[in-house]
Amino acid sequence: MTTTRHALITFGLVLFTVGGALAKKESAVPAALSKQKQLALVRVNVTGQSYDYFRPWQKKAPFSKRALGAVLSKGRVLVTADLVANQNYVELERAESGEKTAATVEVIDYEANLALLQPAEKTFLDGITPLEIAPDTVVGDRLAAWQLEPTGALLATEGLVTTVQMMSYPIDVGQFLTYRISIPLQYRENSYTVPLVKKNKLAGLLLRYDSRSQLVDAIPAPVIMHFLKDAESQNYRGFPSAGFSFSPTRDPALREFAGEKGKNAGGVYVTTVEPGTPAMKAGLQVGDIVTAVANNEIDQNGNYVDPLYGKIEFTNLLTAHAYAGDIVPLRIQRSGNPMQLNVTLEHRDAKDYVSPPYNLDQPPRYYVLGGLIFQELSRQYLKEWGPNWQREAPQRLVYLDHFQSELFPDRNRRVVILSQVLPANSTIGYDELAYLTVTKVNGKEIKSLDDLAEAVKHPIEGFIKVETEEDPKQIELDAAQVGAEAQDLQENYGISALHRLN
Amino acid sequence: MKRILVLIYATFLFGPVLDAQESTPAPPPMEPQAPERPGPWRSTSPAQAAVPVPVPIAPPKPNGPIQKSLVRITATSVEPDYKAPWNAGGLERGVGAGFVISGNRIMTNAHVVANSRYVTVERDGDPNKYPAKVQFIANDCDLAVITVPAPDFFKNMLPLQFGGIPTLESTVSAYGYPIGGERMSVTTGIVSRVDFQLYTHSSVDQHLAIQISAQINPGNSGGPVMQDAKVVGVAFQGYSGDVAQGVAYMIPTPVIKRFLQDIGNGHYDEYPDLAITYAKLQNPAQRRFLGLKDDDRGVVVSSVVAAGPSNGILYPGDVLLAIDGHPIASDANVELDGEHAQFEEVVERKFKGDSVKLDVLRNKQPTTVSIKLYKPWPYSVQGHSYDVRPRYVLYGGLLFQPLNLDMLEAYRTADLRVRHFFEYFVLDQLYVQHPDVIVLTNILPDPINTYLAPYRGGIVDEINGKKIRTLDELAKAFTDSQDRLVIRMIGDGPPLVLDRKQVEAARERIMTRYNVLKEQNLEEQPASKAAEQANKT
Repeated sequence: MTTTRHALITFGLVLFTVGGALAKKESAVPAALSKQKQLALVRVNVTGQSYDYFRPWQKKAPFSKRALGAVLSKGRVLVTADLVANQNYVELERAESGEKTAATVEVIDYEANLALLQPAEKTFLDGITPLEIAPDTVVGDRLAAWQLEPTGALLATEGLVTTVQMMSYPIDVGQFLTYRISIPLQYRENSYTVPLVKKNKLAGLLLRYDSRSQLVDAIPAPVIMHFLKDAESQNYRGFPSAGFSFSPTRDPALREFAGEKGKNAGGVYVTTVEPGTPAMKAGLQVGDIVTAVANNEIDQNGNYVDPLYGKIEFTNLLTAHAYAGDIVPLRIQRSGNPMQLNVTLEHRDAKDYVSPPYNLDQPPRYYVLGGLIFQELSRQYLKEWGPNWQREAPQRLVYLDHFQSELFPDRNRRVVILSQVLPANSTIGYDELAYLTVTKVNGKEIKSLDDLAEAVKHPIEGFIKVETEEDPKQIELDAAQVGAEAQDLQENYGISALHRLN
Repeated sequence: MKRILVLIYATFLFGPVLDAQESTPAPPPMEPQAPERPGPWRSTSPAQAAVPVPVPIAPPKPNGPIQKSLVRITATSVEPDYKAPWNAGGLERGVGAGFVISGNRIMTNAHVVANSRYVTVERDGDPNKYPAKVQFIANDCDLAVITVPAPDFFKNMLPLQFGGIPTLESTVSAYGYPIGGERMSVTTGIVSRVDFQLYTHSSVDQHLAIQISAQINPGNSGGPVMQDAKVVGVAFQGYSGDVAQGVAYMIPTPVIKRFLQDIGNGHYDEYPDLAITYAKLQNPAQRRFLGLKDDDRGVVVSSVVAAGPSNGILYPGDVLLAIDGHPIASDANVELDGEHAQFEEVVERKFKGDSVKLDVLRNKQPTTVSIKLYKPWPYSVQGHSYDVRPRYVLYGGLLFQPLNLDMLEAYRTADLRVRHFFEYFVLDQLYVQHPDVIVLTNILPDPINTYLAPYRGGIVDEINGKKIRTLDELAKAFTDSQDRLVIRMIGDGPPLVLDRKQVEAARERIMTRYNVLKEQNLEEQPASKAAEQANKT
């Protein structure tokens, strides 16, 4: 009894001191208010829920994130896509007054990790001078990371831009221009989005931070500007890609093999051209040497000379400088003969992959059949195994995802997997099966869950026969029993709906 | 499913006790199921961390004068170096136990004498070390028979007799030379379990094994486990202390007797295998679909290994109802001598060339097939090899090696494609296209290959348009080639192009610079004269 009371008293005291401290600081705010008004920062509070790919009919427990948004012109707030992905509710909060309003996600690009928010109350951002964008950051510049103290005061940390290069972003689709900055960032709240500022202009947005090496990777202004420009059009198109992969041609033996004569001539060797992509439509072939992109000569490593950054990989010409629909000339050498191909760039949507690289803000598709759970292979599913999913997820599925363009050149399909089995009367003896790739159901080839949903409607003499690539190769269910058991199964395992196909 | 069952817990061999000189720690497991070898226990190390607690010794007598049968075996072995396969490899010395059996022979574990170059035997009360010879070695069941040429060695020794499978809960005693001292040690425990287990010495074979609660430690390997003055098992493997305690395994007498019978013809032929995978038939709907009665019988064939004896005789979807007249239950068990055992046990007791009769239900029609048994080769890729020199081809500083477990562990490769080829070599029948999965494992840097580093880890698909299936074909493609070699790897990526003249010009240079004694080894020939003789006898 006494211990409880003691604890209560101490707790009360603590509350009091904190309250006192807050009140005290609050009083200091008005003096700096005019300066605070200049700060084009708002707090962004996000509550969200991601889908549970192991129980695809439900969402996981809610999470909340708190970060900063950069206020841009026309009442828009720029944040990372990571912050607002799978959101249920987004709220903006004025740093100096604590005033809040709901916000909507206007445009989101998961690949470039950028999103634009708009406050519900149009007047909410009044009095804030929006940030302009500084597009010209180069190696050697100093950028300030803007964070907020709990009081709303600015916490600025300066760092040096050490590298500007093409890198993978967290979603790992394509390569984007990235600033690397050496900066000793302090921990404030859980800042997912930290603006990087050069002379009071927005130079970039924090992408990731390694506290040990104190290195920040930032989404640079050119990528942000590309995103903003695209966002102004009616339909956001997304960053374009050409659809081929390449390899350096430093090896003289390879150059000679490819018919390259000049010893110091540049160009990269085309290793794959994916079907249906702009590169294939333009007639690019494996073995071609690409020597210039958009009239920029490229060297043997694939770099062109950028007026701002110097040597940088030519993919920057396709992502930061070009838009979906643009026609980009490629100069190539085919068996020693120079040619020009005009590639009409397109954005490749996540759904255009056999195993989609991401699936956010959208529920996963699934089909429950008498305790057997069928899903479509996606990287989002594999990521349920955590940050080390590449090692920890079922290796066969990781292999299928990783080599998908090589294994499924036709592209136009999904890989349906029997992901797990919920024990039920109809699945006795099958309960240890998991992560099998489904080839046929009732004799019909399965290339998507829609195929599966259709095929199960046609049992063979009362049996549903599922064939898998891996052992045990085949299993059968009693179609009538599956139907009769469905309701019990739903109740027992709390399955809200037996399938979701849209 | 016999072959694809994986050992979930890390087990280790009570391997030979290693001397300090070659104490590179064992590579970490490639896969969760990879076996773990013990760190070296240094018998002479003064810095022994654990202080032994004195325990009063009550000399055991029930099993008779074991000292007259038990020997201490010291083996000096050479571990092949898969990263520099032209080298002889590292020297290791280990201690294990053995015991005298009929015919002036000594039985021990294969892993005590595998890769050995020189073996000596000591016995209680005799100051001499006797040179010994390996007669037969069975790496698939971790047993070996060695002998001592010295004429008088066996004179005063008592050969031990074998018993049967001890009953659960009965007490057994293990004898050997484990950590804690120089002389013979005895521990006792009870029989905990009789089941199929992975034998980690090859790490691909499963046989019957008996779990006992007796303390067994490095140095116990090869020692007899006794009950009522008879050998009921040979101590061989267990879990390391941080995984599970009091879990040790011995090789039971059915496996031992089978080994002794197999070598009766002067040659060890290894275990034959049906080389199929199957699934239990416990689902009522599946049973009805396959046309089975509700009688709890039968398992269904999932896949048939094309390189195995069942190819063309059994087919996926066949239901196996009985094996040599023993009905197979739907959980894959049969009744053998009044005991329940997995139906593979029937095959386990047979020898190469024997036949097995299977009652099959195929497309709902009963039929009977007979299969002449042998060991399908592809499995050996997934297990450890011993007493062989690694195969390789070195060309232009590029080292090409066939994929196998030893190579994979040496390089600790994390490459997704290489690991896939290893894991699914048998199950996905990858060996049909690639009997050797030839990996460019390493590059010895030289001006002619300075730009080729990105090709490392690639699997060779074709050379100058011709598919390369084996290491021999690779070597031939290199000798037969014209001016230019265009090597295509599996998957995307540019071809690897070599100029033959340049390679020839660099040949001496590379061999000298990297002290390469031999540019290729195409045959898995015995690694030593001793091993060669053992193979011949």
